[in-house]
Amino acid sequence: MAEVPIEVHVNGTARPATVEPRLTLADFLRERCHLTGTHLGCEHGVCGACTVLLDGEAVRSCLVFAVQADGAEVTTIEGIAPDGELSPVQAAFRDHHGLQCGFCTPGFVLSATAFLRDHHQPSDDEIRTGLSGNLCRCTGYQGILVAVRAAAGTAAG
Amino acid sequence: MKPAPFEYHAPTTPAEAVDLLSGLGDGAKVLAGGQSLVPMLALRLAVFEHLVDVRRVEGIRGIERQNGTVRIGAGTTQAAIERSPEVAAAVPLLARATPLIGHFQIRNRGTLGGSLAHADPAAEYPAVALALDAELEILSAQGTRRVRAGDFFTGLWTTAVADDELLTAVTFPVWAGRGGFAVDEVARRHGDFALAGACVAVGLDGEGRVDRCGIGLFGLGPVPLRAPAAESAAWGLAAGDVDPVELGRAATADLAEVPDDLHAPADYRRRVGAVTVARAWRRAVEEAQGG
Amino acid sequence: MDQPTLTAGTTRYAGARIARVEDARLLTGHGTFVDDVVRPGMLHACFVRSPMARARIVGVDPAAALGLPGVVAVFVAADLNPDVHESWYTSMGAAMPDPPKPPLAEGEVRFVGDPVALVVAVDRYVAEDAVDLVALDLDPLPPVVDYRTARESEHLVHEAYPGNVAGEIGGMPAEMLAPAFDSAAHVTSATIHQQAYLPVPMETRGLVAEWEAAGGELTVWASTQSPHEVRMFGARLLGLPEHRVRVIARDTGGGFGQKVLPMREDMCVLLAARKVPGALKWIEDRRENLLTAGQSRHEHATVRVALDEDGALVAAEIDHVQDVGAYPMPWPVHAGAAVGVFFPGAYRVPKARFSYTGLYSNTVGRTAYRGPWQFESVAREVVLDIAARQAGIDPIELRRRNLLRHGELPYTNASGMAYSDVTPLETFEHALGLLDLDGFRRQQADARATGRLLGLGTSSYIEPTATGMGFYGTEGATIRIEPSGAVNVYVAGGSCGNSLETTVVQLVADALGCDIADVNTIQGDTAVTPFGAGTGGSRSGPMLAGAVAETAAGLRDRIVAIAAHKLEAAPDDIELADSRASVRGTPAAGLSLADIAAAAYFEPASLPDGVPPGLEASGRYHARAMSVWANATHVCTCEVDPETGLVTLLRYIVSEDCGPMINPAVVEGQIAGGSVQGIGGALYEHLAYDAEGNPLSSTLMDYLLPTIAEVPVIEYGHVETPAPNPGGYKGVGEGGAIGAPPAVVNAVADALAPLGVTVTQLPLSPAAILALIAEAGGGAAS
Repeated sequence: MAEVPIEVHVNGTARPATVEPRLTLADFLRERCHLTGTHLGCEHGVCGACTVLLDGEAVRSCLVFAVQADGAEVTTIEGIAPDGELSPVQAAFRDHHGLQCGFCTPGFVLSATAFLRDHHQPSDDEIRTGLSGNLCRCTGYQGILVAVRAAAGTAAG
Repeated sequence: MKPAPFEYHAPTTPAEAVDLLSGLGDGAKVLAGGQSLVPMLALRLAVFEHLVDVRRVEGIRGIERQNGTVRIGAGTTQAAIERSPEVAAAVPLLARATPLIGHFQIRNRGTLGGSLAHADPAAEYPAVALALDAELEILSAQGTRRVRAGDFFTGLWTTAVADDELLTAVTFPVWAGRGGFAVDEVARRHGDFALAGACVAVGLDGEGRVDRCGIGLFGLGPVPLRAPAAESAAWGLAAGDVDPVELGRAATADLAEVPDDLHAPADYRRRVGAVTVARAWRRAVEEAQGG
Repeated sequence: MDQPTLTAGTTRYAGARIARVEDARLLTGHGTFVDDVVRPGMLHACFVRSPMARARIVGVDPAAALGLPGVVAVFVAADLNPDVHESWYTSMGAAMPDPPKPPLAEGEVRFVGDPVALVVAVDRYVAEDAVDLVALDLDPLPPVVDYRTARESEHLVHEAYPGNVAGEIGGMPAEMLAPAFDSAAHVTSATIHQQAYLPVPMETRGLVAEWEAAGGELTVWASTQSPHEVRMFGARLLGLPEHRVRVIARDTGGGFGQKVLPMREDMCVLLAARKVPGALKWIEDRRENLLTAGQSRHEHATVRVALDEDGALVAAEIDHVQDVGAYPMPWPVHAGAAVGVFFPGAYRVPKARFSYTGLYSNTVGRTAYRGPWQFESVAREVVLDIAARQAGIDPIELRRRNLLRHGELPYTNASGMAYSDVTPLETFEHALGLLDLDGFRRQQADARATGRLLGLGTSSYIEPTATGMGFYGTEGATIRIEPSGAVNVYVAGGSCGNSLETTVVQLVADALGCDIADVNTIQGDTAVTPFGAGTGGSRSGPMLAGAVAETAAGLRDRIVAIAAHKLEAAPDDIELADSRASVRGTPAAGLSLADIAAAAYFEPASLPDGVPPGLEASGRYHARAMSVWANATHVCTCEVDPETGLVTLLRYIVSEDCGPMINPAVVEGQIAGGSVQGIGGALYEHLAYDAEGNPLSSTLMDYLLPTIAEVPVIEYGHVETPAPNPGGYKGVGEGGAIGAPPAVVNAVADALAPLGVTVTQLPLSPAAILALIAEAGGGAAS
């Protein structure tokens, strides 16, 4: 089976590689780019733990093949803020106990970042609808809701 | 859960795409948004030797308002439809169905054409296309043919699109005059596939009588369904004289192959299907009367 | 004083919502979960699993798989199973009955997903390709799918267990309670059913096992709640000395009981690790996790409660039957018996009895899940509401008349459990106060007048936490104040989201009077940390507090003695705060902990007599009590749509008494997580099989977890009754999953009660609710 040369831009860095077509974007990021912050919670597009930004849009990276991301810009959790800093969404999760085991957290941060970019001053209902595609088993979502509300407040200014 | 191996093709023109499909035979599958296909590949419920990715095919994306219709490229994402002021104004039923599809991350990738061609029995878009008598354009090496929505869904996960064909565009009629449009569904959780659902388009004449009506059902059979008996019962009546509950019953009375599974037995789906028709009808009529 | 206290003086950190030390790495994607571990030459494992619920294994042919490039090995039972030396769990002991535990299936497959062969390849993609090529020749046998009829079945899941009985245990015989029931004013009987559901941590199971033959050392990176159990079990399994096995658990993505014990797949990977030329990684995928990581909660019971004419409970009994699947881990009888023992709950029940039967079935085996015995609360709280309605008493009133008051303690329940330091009635009233009961009843009545169905449900329970028994009864800590004055605390760990790092850092900072930024913890590495049982059984908070108290006391005394000597003051006049020692009254003059450490390590001659050099200490806390009791009340209001059966939760209140809180944010997070898992169990989650034993919910598309859109804001009430252990802290991790399902069920039942509906079965899917309404005659028109 023919391997395909691709170049994906990940967190601002070009990552040329030759890949099998079936290699998912999630596995490309984790194994080829050694960016293990993107997690695999289900590999069938339900849990959202693998969420990244692909050309700025939040997508489930387990449902995208790396070959499909050739030439695209990908932002992962490692690239959401400069090294050593926290983005407003990340800081809000820290401040409001929005994470426990941390496995779903990168997916939530990416989804919340995209959501808040496109929704200013969202209502609680809008936040719930917006984040209903990310699953968490530890927090019961309580800290997450408070964190996203707080981050929305910061962003809205 | 990793997919089985496949060869990957990324044509850039529609002609190239159908040439590929024609040459590769039934071991090839169109990959559009991948939100339905890729999970099946990951679970190895389906195996294809070739995937033909149509995301880079020119000319099959975009929303175009024409005279009395809106033509939408099959490769247009659900997110683009959701954001489109043209669709919101001219095809409100499609606009209102869109936020019910999964979650925004899915809609960022999922396409109109992918949803119609995959034809999940519980999906919203097929029922909307049916309710509005949309027209679908199918391209093959022999050229383009047009198929009415009513002839498009031929069986469970089966459509009029052959293995060597590509769905390229969908044209929706714009309803002039006093119209109302609503989608109602029952799902276990937000964003889940509907257990049962209805989309209703209703048009009223100057005297407030129903002069146009489309009811599309989803989750209630192997294919999306129209409700012709219910529609004809409503025609000509003053909107206020149509009993939504009776309408719902009429729409769901003769359903033959209602799905039965872990989430709901058939009689539950039938019953709430009637409820969704009634609720969608009420909202659509309220809009038509108000506007 | 008879036990060490926890603070150096002013408590700064305990009780505060300190931001977590774990968050910096987890928020930025720099955690190390087991799938993030990469070793040179690492290979990947994937299991071949049975597609049938029960069959005779005729043959397993790996030839085609071995021919695939990239495949290194295919192991079958004959390759791995004979290498097992011992396979008992330390927590259970070698003498405990142990259900069969073959690493790979041998002779028969006993459930869909039963591991039959292990493929090892260069990556997981190739391994899965190879799995498809392994030819399984199976001869189908009739499966025992429904545990409720397993006893009468002519087919046996395990030949050695007639009647498919895994175990039985009981209290007094039924006849002894008959007079109490016969003479009671009101007797209510019901059979309550709970479905199979399971933990579903966001990170699936997995491990990396690396065998280094030259030194005979095995290193294991595991997703586990108990690194030390993995080490001990693994060492015994392979016949290796314990100290030649090192287990590292850096970040674990949720456990909830599923990762307490190594299971059959872990056994296979450990056994195969010495047979392959590189580290061996196995990461379970989600379908495997749903099919094979174990089920819980699948049980039913016939319960009876008797009330006198004033609504006081006079007797309660539960005959409890549990599905233990094909390969339960561990032996389920003790946790099963706990259901019967705790059935009387936090109520005044003079007489009670129970029986327990665990039955095998050809489905996935039963494993622990957050509050494994929680069915006692499900059964009791649901039947109490039914009993109340039957007796014409408000369910709230019934609780008021029967919940134990703090003043009645200690109280020995009818099963011999001696309760102390809890506040069942007081906590119940606290929760109702947060609700505004009268306001809700008015709202409910107004809604009923317009055809809307609102309901209120409560549940109250008492739970054993931080047991002092056996394997779980101690916790060790080593505290090293480094020569620089920084503080490192070593504890066993096993954190899977429950903030053990932050907890330890807060406690030690207070114990030694340090600035919290100067305290660091190292956990989850058996080569480095003292033995600890890991996390589970709601033990971590109290046990870590005990370990810190035990260990820090002596260190504090040494710090004070050195400071007193150098500052020429009396030890009683020395204060420790902000990583400094100063003389009371002159805080500006003093010594930093760095100064004191430098003296301790580099100037031993300058130390006072009797103070040893260095500043490191180890201690081990022994929990004396069999349990540290904690209690809570859950209050839930809901609306049920009578046309669709959909349930919307309106308010969700938990008042709990877990004693003082080390970190209120952590406590509330634990309550929230457990409660939402319980909501999931009441309304959404169902691990189902068809009549042939084929799983129906093997992906997250069919096994429905609650999302943020399904759960309301949870409101918390905190009652703080200290327990008699260091800090007074009680455990709190499991309670949410115990209290939530019955509170939700009772809310729905209250909403449907006017329609004549009685609820006795979970889950309350929309279809189930409409069916209940129809059965009660309320079905037809909307």
